[in-house]
Formats: sequence, C-alpha cells, structure tokens
Amino acid sequence: MKWATRRECHVDRAACAWLIQRFIDPAAEFVFVDDPAKVPADATPFDMRGVPLSHHQGDCSFETFLRRYGLRDTGLWKIAEIVHEADLDDNRYDAPEAPGLDSLIRGLALRFKDAPLLGVTNLLFDALYGLQQPAALQRRERL
Amino acid sequence: MVAVQGKVQREPQREWVLLTYRFPREPSTPRIAHWRALKRLGAAQVRDGVAALPLDTRTREHLEWLADAVLEAGGMAQVWIARLASVGDERRLVDQMRGEAAREFRNFIAAVSAAVQQRGSDQRRSVSALRRELRQIMSRDYFRVAERAEAERSFRALLGRVEAVA
Repeated sequence: MKWATRRECHVDRAACAWLIQRFIDPAAEFVFVDDPAKVPADATPFDMRGVPLSHHQGDCSFETFLRRYGLRDTGLWKIAEIVHEADLDDNRYDAPEAPGLDSLIRGLALRFKDAPLLGVTNLLFDALYGLQQPAALQRRERL
Repeated sequence: MVAVQGKVQREPQREWVLLTYRFPREPSTPRIAHWRALKRLGAAQVRDGVAALPLDTRTREHLEWLADAVLEAGGMAQVWIARLASVGDERRLVDQMRGEAAREFRNFIAAVSAAVQQRGSDQRRSVSALRRELRQIMSRDYFRVAERAEAERSFRALLGRVEAVA
C-alpha cells in the first residue's frame, strides 16, 4: 500500500511510519508531499491536517493509529506516551525518554532526507520497543 | 531604520506564522485546552483570536494542529504565513515575546533559590519539576534572552548541591 505524509518528518511521523511498517503494512511505500492537496489518489494520508489518521482530541497521530487499528500491545502504548510527550510536551504522560528522543530525531533530520531518515528512526523505535518486551524475548542473539 | 550587523535594515526580515480563530460560545473545554496549548508554545496573543509565532516547521505544524482542533470544536480557524510591514512593529512584537521569556526565566531562578533551601525528598521532587519546567521555558524562548544562561547556571548549581548532600 501507498502512504502519504508531509515532508520533513519529525518524531510523530517517524513513529507512525515505523508502526505502519512493523504492524500494519510490511510492504508500505511512503510518499512525502508539502501540501495535503498533493496526496496521490491511491495513497492513505497520515499526520496531515484534516485526515482521519492524524491528531485528534489531544492525541498525537501515533495514538490515533493505535486506536483506529485496535492495537492494544502495552509496549506500543509505552512508545505512544514517549512520542506524545516528545511531540506535544503537554505533561499528559510521564515520559523521561521524550526530550532525548526529540533531540535525536531533530539532529538526524538535519543529516538525512525523509526516506533515509525513516530507515534510521526505525532502529530507534525497534530499540524502544525491544526494551518493553519480557526479559525472555530480550535475550535473543545479538547481531 | 535599524542597524543590523553593520547593514541598515529597511524591511522586517522575519516570517511569522499566525493562527486566527474563533470558538463557538459553548462548550468552554476546547477553548481552555487551546489557551493552554498557546501558552505552552509561547505564542504572542496579538489580539483576541490572533496568535503569532516565529515561523519554522515546528511552530507551523503546532498551529496547524490547533487550527484543526478549533474546527473539530465547531469553530473557525486559519493559519497564515505573515511578515510585519515595519521594522518597528516587528521589534515591538519580538521585545514583547523576549520580555515574556525573560520573566519566565526570572521566576524560574526564584524557584531554584527556594529549592536550594529544601532538604531530602522535597528537594528531589522540586528538582525534577524544575528540570521539566526549564526545558519547557527554553522551548518557547525563541530569541534566546540573556536570562536563559543564568537560569541554566542556577539549575546546574542546584544539582551540584543536591549531589553534594547525597
């Protein structure tokens, strides 16, 4: 499937792209546009003004994805708290990881364009998600 | 005319992102959430229903989300990219925002001084609240006021004392 979002990805869009690839559509293809009007007809838009998979009722787009796709995994909700605080910083959750994640992704975005950036941020979100797994699953063979 | 780095600046140089909005009379909850969000961003309330921030991807995106929230609440909202027509108007707006940031840093420094007097778990709680507060004030200090460095120094000094006692 094709997915479309705004250019210049930051934490919320990067997290959504990771979620799509790992939990919703492993064959996802991303298109980056600068205007919601330029979303291709065959693409699902996310984290853009006026689309369903976006900020709603104080939720960031990542939280909206989890709700719309009925994803109840507690590890994903822990990531949602971090992403929410990194994006909105409104003290809804206690997520001390948030400022660090925000700095890392802002710094990476200075170095990488959107498509390669998502390759790198996927590693960050894989790492955060791995930490949420039970100890038995964490003890896999390392690379 | 204002001299900037040896050159005479005749035109305002900065771009701003404006949010114009109007809420329906009821309910009041979205209006309060909106007001809090503008405060958190450090937006200048230019007048009723008009908020301004220096333009960058982050400020623009945040105001766009707020515009959508106003629409969701049944109100009207627009996001504009704007430039002030005179250097003087721009300077006054920047000075107003700098003044607000400076005031926040001064209050923060006073809170740090109070925390220095505390002991034990009270002090530890203050330190984590202050850490978060400093980060938030810094995120809305768009013009890097002089009080910023002083606030950072005072907080570092507080951390030093906490460790020394522990």
